Amino acid sequence: MSDGSTPLTRRSVEPVVFRVLTLAFTIFIVAYVLIPIVVTLVMSFNEAAQIRFPIKVWSLGWYGDFIASPQWTDALKNSFIIAVGTAVISTTAGILAAWAFERYDFAFKNVLYILIMMPLFMPGVVLGLGVAIAFGGLEIGGVSIYGSRGLVMVAHSLWAMPLVFMLMEATFRTIDNRVVEAANDLGAPPVRTFFEVVIPMVSTGVISSVLFAFVISLNEFVMALFLTDRDTQTLPVLMWLSLRSAGTPRLAVASVILALTVFACLSLIMLWYIRQLRKVSR
Amino acid sequence: MTGEDRAFTVARAAVIRRKRAAPWLLMLPALIIVLIFFGLPTLYMARMSFNLSEGSKLFTPGLSWANYQTVFSNEVFVGAIWTTLQLALMASAATLVIGYLFALLVWLKPAKWRLIFIGLALCPLLISEIAIIFGWWMFFPKNGLLSFALTSSGLISDKISLMYTEFAAFVGLVYLTLPFCFFILLSILDGIDKRMLEAAADLGASPLTIFREVLLPLTRNGMLVAFSQCFIFTMGTYATPSALGPDTLWTMGFLVQEQMLGRNNWPLASALSMVLVVLVAVMMVFTRALATRRATLHV
Repeated sequence: MSDGSTPLTRRSVEPVVFRVLTLAFTIFIVAYVLIPIVVTLVMSFNEAAQIRFPIKVWSLGWYGDFIASPQWTDALKNSFIIAVGTAVISTTAGILAAWAFERYDFAFKNVLYILIMMPLFMPGVVLGLGVAIAFGGLEIGGVSIYGSRGLVMVAHSLWAMPLVFMLMEATFRTIDNRVVEAANDLGAPPVRTFFEVVIPMVSTGVISSVLFAFVISLNEFVMALFLTDRDTQTLPVLMWLSLRSAGTPRLAVASVILALTVFACLSLIMLWYIRQLRKVSR
Repeated sequence: MTGEDRAFTVARAAVIRRKRAAPWLLMLPALIIVLIFFGLPTLYMARMSFNLSEGSKLFTPGLSWANYQTVFSNEVFVGAIWTTLQLALMASAATLVIGYLFALLVWLKPAKWRLIFIGLALCPLLISEIAIIFGWWMFFPKNGLLSFALTSSGLISDKISLMYTEFAAFVGLVYLTLPFCFFILLSILDGIDKRMLEAAADLGASPLTIFREVLLPLTRNGMLVAFSQCFIFTMGTYATPSALGPDTLWTMGFLVQEQMLGRNNWPLASALSMVLVVLVAVMMVFTRALATRRATLHV
C-alpha cells in the first residue's frame, strides 16, 4: 500500500475484479433464492410418480390428481377456512389495540406493548405445545376444543396479531389528527368517527393487515401440526406428514397452489395501493 | 402539547378522563388472545414441566426437578442443546455474511434493479417453510437436480447425494433467515450517505479500508440485531434441519415434538421448551444490552 506505483495499476485492475465479484455474487444469490422455487414448479408438471431428474414426460396429471383427491382438497379447504378466521380475528384485535395505543394514554402501556409483541418471538413449537397442553382436554358443550379449527385460528393469531398491531400502529401515526378532531367537534360519536373517518384513511394498512395475516396462517404448519386432527389438518400439515412417508409430485402441486395463493394476495395489496395513489393524485 | 390552546387541552383531558374505559375496551380482544392463549399456556407449560411422567398416563401431578435434571444430564438432550446452539450460530453467521453482501449489492446498484432484488428477497419470506423444504428435498438427493446438473455437464461422473447431510440442513436454514437479515441491513444502509464512500475513496482508501473504517462502524448495531434475529429464529425452527439433515441431527425443537407427539411425555416436552424459551430470552436481552451499550459509546 505504501508502494508509489501501485495506485495506478490497482485503479485499473480493481474495477474489473470488483465487477467480476459482484456479478458472481449476483448470480449466486439469484440462483440460491430461485432454486427451490423453480425445482418445485418444474416438478409439478412431471408425469412420473418418482422425484427424479431429468423429467422425461410432461403433464398436468398431478394437478388433476390433486383436485380429484378429497384428502388434499379437504386440507386446502381447512387451510382457507383457518386463514380467513385468523385474518378476521387478528386484524380486528390488532387494529383496535393499535388505535388504543395511538389515541389514549393508560397504565402499563410499555408492559402491554411487550406482552402483545412477545408471542411473535416465540418459536412455533413452543406456542403449539403450550396451547395444546392447556386446551388439550377442554370441552365446551360436549364439543372438544382441541383439534377444532377455531383453536388453530387463535393460535395463528398469536403470530399474525402482533404484526398487524405493529403495521397499524405505524399507519395510524401517519394520519392527520385534525381530521379526527374535526369529526369529533362536529358531534360524531367516537365509534362513527372510527369507522367513517379513520378506517377509510388507513384502508391500505387494513387491507395489507388482512392479507398478511391470511398469508401467515396459510403457510404456518408447526402449530397446526400440534393442534389439528385428521379432519381439520391444513395443507402444509398434510404436506409435512406425506413428505415424511414419501415425496411425490403431488407435493409439488400443493406447494405451487400455496405459493400462487400467496402471490395473488400480494398482487391484491399492490393493486389496492396503486388505486389509492391514483385517488390521491386525482 | 406546547400550550398553543390551553382550553382545548383541558377539554381534551376531560374527554380522556371520561373515557378512561375506552382504551381497555379497545384492547380487550387483543388482551384476551394474548392472556388466555399465550399467558395461560405459558404458565401451564411452566407448571407442567414440574409434573412427573409415569406409566401410560400423559402426566402425574407432582413437584420435582426431575425433568430438568433429565434435560441437563441425559446425553440426548444435552447433545440437542449443543447441536441447536451450534447450528444456530453457524447458520446465523453465514446468513449475516450473505445477507450483508446482498444488502450492499442492492444499496450500491442503480435504483432500477432495486425492486427486482427486493421481490427476490421477499420470496423465502412468503413461501411456506414446507414448500421450501420440499424444493431442497428435490435438489440435493441422488436423483435430484444438483446431481443431474453436475453429471450432465460432465463435472462429475457418478451421481452424488448431499441429502440428509448437515450441509443440506445448513443451506435450508440460511435460506429461511436470509430475508430478515437482508431487510434489516438494507434499512440501515439506506440511512447512510453514499457520498461518504466517495469521499473515502477520493482520499485514497481502498475498498477494504472503506468497508472496515466507514461501513462497519455505521452498520455494527444493525448487524447485531440481524444476527440475533436470525439466531432466535433458527433456534426455534425444527422442520428444516430434521427434514434435510441427517437422522442424528436432533435439535431442541425436534425433541419437543418427539416427546409431545411421539412419546406422549408432556412434562419432559414442557421442560425442554422452557429451556428453549429461556435461551431465546437470554439471547434477546444480551443483544439489547450490547446494542444499547454500543450506541451510547458512539454518541
